[in-house]
Amino acid sequence: MSEARARISTPLLTHELGSLDKPGWRVKANAGAQLEEGDVEEARIWGERLQVPDYQDLLELLARSPLGEEERAEVRRWSSRYGLRLLESAGLDVVYDGEQQRSEMYAWAVAHADGFEWRGSVRAFDNKYYSKAAVTGPLSLREPYHNDEFSLLSSIARSMLKVPVTGPYTIADWSFDERFFRNRDLALPASERRRTRHAARRSFVQEVARELIRPNLEALIGLGALWIQIDEPGASTNREELDLFVESFNVAVEGLDAFFSTHLCFSDYELFFPAIEAMHGCRQFAVGFANYDARELGRSGDARPGYAVISKFRDLPYQPILGLGVLDIHSDFVESPELVRDRILYAVDVFGDPNRIQVTPDCGLRTRSWDVAYRKLANMVAGVALAKRELRLS
Amino acid sequence: MIDQVIAYQHGIFPRSEDVVAATRGLERGRVARQAVDARFEADLDLFVQTQREARLDYFSNGMLRWQDVFRPFVEACSGLQARALVRWFDNNSFFRAPEIIGALRPDVGFASVASPLGVPEPRLACLPSPYLFSRAAHASGNRNTLMLEVAKYVLRPAIEELVKQGCGLVHLQEPWLAYFGIELGDWDEFERALHELRDVAPADLVTIVLHTYFGDVAPYAARLRGMPVDAVGIDLVETDQSALRGPWEGGLLLGLLDGRSSVVEPVEESARLIRSIAETLEPSALYLSSNCELEFLPSDVARRKVLRLGEIARRVREAS
Repeated sequence: MSEARARISTPLLTHELGSLDKPGWRVKANAGAQLEEGDVEEARIWGERLQVPDYQDLLELLARSPLGEEERAEVRRWSSRYGLRLLESAGLDVVYDGEQQRSEMYAWAVAHADGFEWRGSVRAFDNKYYSKAAVTGPLSLREPYHNDEFSLLSSIARSMLKVPVTGPYTIADWSFDERFFRNRDLALPASERRRTRHAARRSFVQEVARELIRPNLEALIGLGALWIQIDEPGASTNREELDLFVESFNVAVEGLDAFFSTHLCFSDYELFFPAIEAMHGCRQFAVGFANYDARELGRSGDARPGYAVISKFRDLPYQPILGLGVLDIHSDFVESPELVRDRILYAVDVFGDPNRIQVTPDCGLRTRSWDVAYRKLANMVAGVALAKRELRLS
Repeated sequence: MIDQVIAYQHGIFPRSEDVVAATRGLERGRVARQAVDARFEADLDLFVQTQREARLDYFSNGMLRWQDVFRPFVEACSGLQARALVRWFDNNSFFRAPEIIGALRPDVGFASVASPLGVPEPRLACLPSPYLFSRAAHASGNRNTLMLEVAKYVLRPAIEELVKQGCGLVHLQEPWLAYFGIELGDWDEFERALHELRDVAPADLVTIVLHTYFGDVAPYAARLRGMPVDAVGIDLVETDQSALRGPWEGGLLLGLLDGRSSVVEPVEESARLIRSIAETLEPSALYLSSNCELEFLPSDVARRKVLRLGEIARRVREAS
């Protein structure tokens, strides 16, 4: 156990973030649809390519579609095995399953909680949407909702696992509030309205942290989870609520024995400072930068505009590790190992210490095909090898 | 006494669950383009019907096909591309920042922006304000120079096309100013950029509304009122309306429906507040709408808000 904990702090350790796309055979089978030959062939090709143990059993299962409820659950578990193997096969040090069993990071959490009602789909960008619920009553956890997948993955993973858990601030931010913020009288002075709204928001976020997230974390630790990543893509949404994000992280993890990290993406990261100086329990920040960066090689600040803010993470008083996002997950452009290397070497130079840099995609790769995701991840691992060679770490 | 109360719905309207499913399917290669088009047409029909039912004064196409408020302009002009995904202010919603990669020139035209297909008259169109465009863009160089170029080579030709197509109201979205503010030295250039637009939209043919939202613009109200537009919009959810002073020379748009809340506003309370503000500020014309685009809401909720907007407008008129 202590050896595993020590491995978490390996310099330039690579890990996944978030979700992978769900294969067509998983989506169709889960929807109770009849699969076509091409779907089964896709499962065969990837099963062979990733050397998924006993994947022929999946092919036999898919051939029986449309499937009943228990068989669909088995397909979802197969999807987990495939996702895990994709990440392991790409060479990552720390893996999970691309969240193959979850519907979506927000929807999965809300679906396992009482106190929410669904309101409908809302667009995030382009043709990407998410289902949005409203909080309408007291929140409670129906059952810990990551135990089954973690137990399965623990039994088959060859690499270390990191469990992604959607964070309390994001769950609150992505929900409508029909319970806590009641007095919406626009005739009140704006300052009073803001104060009331902030207080209502604090109550909401803290209740999510206390009643939904913390019990999940306790359950996962009980099952042996060592590294839990609290995903907070919504954290910087509102510059006036960063205190709520920090408080909720602390409420969720305080006193629990695990390595806790957080994931932030697609934000003006400057906004996080100085608020996150109070986030002492966070040992690693995994942050997306490649989306904002140039694609040409180079290790100078001018060559790496997307990484200008990283010195602020370096200067945090509790010296967390930075999970450096080096893959743009919104593009099919496959970063070369040399580009990944240069991004890493620039960050190591800024930090002055490779022990404080780990390497990740910007975010989950679910908007990319498996082929693109695999090639990106493999190049990321190759880029880390190049960087290690230059730093004489290998 | 309120002489003129005009209600309309601005901004990108949310897509129905059918369009959501169809566009998702299109991206996964499981749904044909024609099927997606049919869903979009059904959405447009429903949105027009909703505006009609609400008895709104202008009709919008809901910008249902727009991927974000900049994308049709990026696609219509050379010198622009859309790549980096950026958060749309403090929302869980993102846009691809227009990136300046060369001289700005209209390229393929603005048919997608100006098309009147399926939308009855009088029509409104919603465009990004030049200040917003220049600040949200990824560019090096002077932002005010860019603002003037955007006004001259991107927005002005689009408005010319809109005028040709009989558009009666141009609604300029300006959240940047309200959310991030504006430097004192930028106002004159902003005004010049708006003049570029006003010049091709004669006041007797086209109403221009400059709508600020996502922030409190009370501190900027005096300067905003001097802009070459017919009305200035404020976000009532964020703005301290008690800090606004009358008389308000020109038109005033009150963005009172909260586009980020699923709670539908009450009729009487809203109408009372509007009358009170109008009596204090005495605008020459009063426009009513949502504070921001409704695309942060599921389509059913947004539809209820549009119907409520109509109810509130009628209540305000009845009591005037």
